[in-house]
Amino acid sequence: MTSPIKDKYAIVGVGYTPQGRVPGRTSLSFHLEASANAIKDAGLNKNDIDGFISYRNFPAASDENELTPNIIAQHLGLSPIYMSQDAN
Amino acid sequence: MLESGLCSYVLISYGHSALSSDSMQRMLLDLSGDDAVFGHFGATGGYALAARRAMHEFGTGPETWKKIAVGQRRWANLNPAAMMHSKPMTEADYDNAKLIVEPLRLPDNCLITDGGRAIIVTSLERARDLKQPPAVIMGMGQHNPSTVIAQSDWMAGPTGARQAGEAAFAMADITLDDVDACQIYDCFTYTVEITLQDYGFFKPGGGRDWLQGGTIEPGGRMPVNTSGGQLSEAYFMGMTPIAEGAMQIMGRCGERQLGPATRTKSPEIILCSDNGGILQSHSCTLLRRL
Repeated sequence: MTSPIKDKYAIVGVGYTPQGRVPGRTSLSFHLEASANAIKDAGLNKNDIDGFISYRNFPAASDENELTPNIIAQHLGLSPIYMSQDAN
Repeated sequence: MLESGLCSYVLISYGHSALSSDSMQRMLLDLSGDDAVFGHFGATGGYALAARRAMHEFGTGPETWKKIAVGQRRWANLNPAAMMHSKPMTEADYDNAKLIVEPLRLPDNCLITDGGRAIIVTSLERARDLKQPPAVIMGMGQHNPSTVIAQSDWMAGPTGARQAGEAAFAMADITLDDVDACQIYDCFTYTVEITLQDYGFFKPGGGRDWLQGGTIEPGGRMPVNTSGGQLSEAYFMGMTPIAEGAMQIMGRCGERQLGPATRTKSPEIILCSDNGGILQSHSCTLLRRL
């Protein structure tokens, strides 16, 4: 039986950031830069984004706050209809 | 989210100050739990345990893993953004590298990276009007055998990759022969071996022969982890493989682009994997060109 979701969805944008040893930056700042770049790469406007999944972080650094999808969406200025966090 | 009609454009993001902050060390050096009393802790410890068991069960070992480490490094040498771009590695370098947790040496371990990565997923219908050529999701599968390796049925596999792969290939209605390249979650070299093995690319222990002659390298017949992967490009959990799979399908990879530039097959279909815990959760995604 053919799956109803075969060939129905696609990846349409990829966002990168500086990577390697990049001191003085928070995890949040990398989420924001990668997300903004992915939205731009796809040729979308941030208001188009209505679903958001953020990967789980390993424990936050001792000088950073724990991240949630809500905090990242807040800083991006997004109000997604649906949010979740993926644990690796 | 998309199939239910709740959402139209889904953003997935990863970000981590993993190298410059104390975050990763806090996780890796966490000595809580019963195992730590016996000196067993951290991700390398868990994967070393599985790799050691696999050496016993199907005769794998460093001769197999070095081909993965060296092969992926050759891809990283073609990727200016890769952390190991300017650091070539020979098999002798691998042999002489220090042991982290026996039997795993330093180049068997993935990198720790500051940075982030994000992708956007939407319907193919909407994708047709957007800027980039879409990387179409033709199949997906997940399987999560247990929450901790101590509770797994078989420590040396099959991991979740077997059933996740079967589900993804069934959905896509293709076989392994249709796959042009793989982007495999590679926290350790052994993870790449057991994942490819569980997908069926070779029989248990057959990886050593399968990898001979530069199979996964530039110019090889089954390129694997063409950005350098987590071993030699950057560690962003599942975003490292899936982003590279999408970029290769889109044809945007410059010097490391699959096809004539790297004497490999032009990619119609790329297999991407993600893995979590100590080989406990697994996700397989098949991407194709439109």
